[in-house]
Amino acid sequence: MYSIRFKNVNKSFGKNKIIEDLNLDIKKGERLILLGSSGCGKSTILRMISGLETITSGELYLNGELANDIDSGDRSIAMVFQNYALYPHMTVNDNVGYGLKINKTKKEERVKKVAEAIDILGLTNLENRYPRELSGGQRQRVALARAIVKKADFFLLDEPLSNLDAQLRGQARKELVKIHEMYGQTFVYVTHDQIEAMTIGHRIALLDKGHLQMLDTPHNVYHKPANIFVATFIGSPSMNIISTNIYGRYMILGKNKVELPEMWLNQIASSKAKGVKLGVRPENIILSNTPGQYSIPVTVRYVEDYGNRVGFYFNIGDCYIFLDILYKFCFDTER
Amino acid sequence: MKTKEFKWHILFIVIILIALYPIIYAVSTSFKSLNESFNNILSLIPEEPTTSAYQRVLSIIPFFKITLNTFIIASIVTLFKLITGVLAAYSFVFLDFKGKKWLYFVLISTIFIPFTVTMIPNFITISRLGLKDNIIGVAIPQLADATGIFLLRQHMRGVPKSLLEVAKLEKTPHVTILRTIVVPIIRPAILSMGIIFFINSWNEFVWPSLILKSTENYTLSLALQMFVSAEGGTDIPVAMAISVLTMLLPLVIYAFCQKFIINTFAQSGIKG
Repeated sequence: MYSIRFKNVNKSFGKNKIIEDLNLDIKKGERLILLGSSGCGKSTILRMISGLETITSGELYLNGELANDIDSGDRSIAMVFQNYALYPHMTVNDNVGYGLKINKTKKEERVKKVAEAIDILGLTNLENRYPRELSGGQRQRVALARAIVKKADFFLLDEPLSNLDAQLRGQARKELVKIHEMYGQTFVYVTHDQIEAMTIGHRIALLDKGHLQMLDTPHNVYHKPANIFVATFIGSPSMNIISTNIYGRYMILGKNKVELPEMWLNQIASSKAKGVKLGVRPENIILSNTPGQYSIPVTVRYVEDYGNRVGFYFNIGDCYIFLDILYKFCFDTER
Repeated sequence: MKTKEFKWHILFIVIILIALYPIIYAVSTSFKSLNESFNNILSLIPEEPTTSAYQRVLSIIPFFKITLNTFIIASIVTLFKLITGVLAAYSFVFLDFKGKKWLYFVLISTIFIPFTVTMIPNFITISRLGLKDNIIGVAIPQLADATGIFLLRQHMRGVPKSLLEVAKLEKTPHVTILRTIVVPIIRPAILSMGIIFFINSWNEFVWPSLILKSTENYTLSLALQMFVSAEGGTDIPVAMAISVLTMLLPLVIYAFCQKFIINTFAQSGIKG
């Protein structure tokens, strides 16, 4: 069952096309990550779901219902903003309970729900503090508490962790997953951080310049990228892309040739594309002293020592290639 | 203290003394007798302090009625300028409507129209409304203020949009958003603007002088003028006494709210 469906959705600001012909289905209860670099339109998609941004053309369905013209207040949306959007003049309690108060929830019920959310997020004893008296991590939790207290159908998060320091971020990732599993709403999460995308998402929707590049599980996005953009975007350090030619059964790499397995040859033969590009992740290259079946001789140009790993740079033809290997393997090969 | 700092302090003290001198002079002269005010013009300390000047003020004009008039006008003007200003600023910042930019441009351009240009049309309107010699007639043309809208808009632009968006997801009506979010956040700005509106209205002279004719409807600045004109011009202690009374209330307000006023001017151009 799809709970959010984009059908041929376009969005433009004046002449600026932000989203072009987006088709995206988000399953009920899944954690979908909208991933992309800044300006790719991921936040715009989130804001279209929430109704804070209008849709220029196309159709948006929420729970099977055409939602283009539904007021954002009627969409059952809870949203966490990048800057947390806490009301500076209200205490933690009032911030969390604001929506309930606006919707005229009875006071006893409101107090109970607020206390519950505050308890879940470990904000007990901070109820009467103002946002300025809280740390960044605590503010982020208040924003989350305000969102979960609503028990909305859709839980939207716009880079909620980007203002936290690296250490807190790792912890917050786990908590977000825990909270989602507790409530199980449809969870749409915008980020530019691929670690967050890989660890939090059931599926990742990778975007570039307003176009959906790939929609799949984190594992498939990493191991079976749909195109070069996906291949180079996911993974750090990013994948090496080498332009090459096929000559008979051989792939030409600079001045060397490597014999290709039958499976690859068949795939290349069935493709109508002209050039061939070889993509290799830095961690999949092995440095060796003895020539093997698929090895080619290289001259190392530059070495970087990261402590646990060592990075090597070398040329294959015109391409500058990077590989990194565990430190211990580095010494094995030199022996 | 370092010599360099010391020099600056001396300069500031001199500047403050120059600025304060007329006020100190007014206060001291108001406690002099009529005779002493002529014999002992430059002295800042009255030899025989007396409140006779104040008693004369109270006998010549209905002082309390006049103070009340001034207070009522200033209060009405301040209250309405704030209400209209907050509403207009909210619309200009947070609502989208057709012709918004154009309307804002027209509004701001009214700041550059001198008072003397609108004075006569306003006078004709007020007199046709039959509000001449009526304090309501003084207040009516001043119920909205473009400068105030401009300044409040600047402050509201500092309120992050996401704060309103959170509220919108709860289907919060605009009036509630304004009341529970925007106004509390920019309250210091609203307070200080209010004080400025109040003091400006309190000190206003030209417009009330056109509208108000009978002494009992006068405002303080008009009453003040009575004592420096040809008829009462020689009774300097009385003129000084009413001057002191006129500036008393604004000074008290300023003393309490100094912090807000300085904040408003310091922030007015900056997007928070």
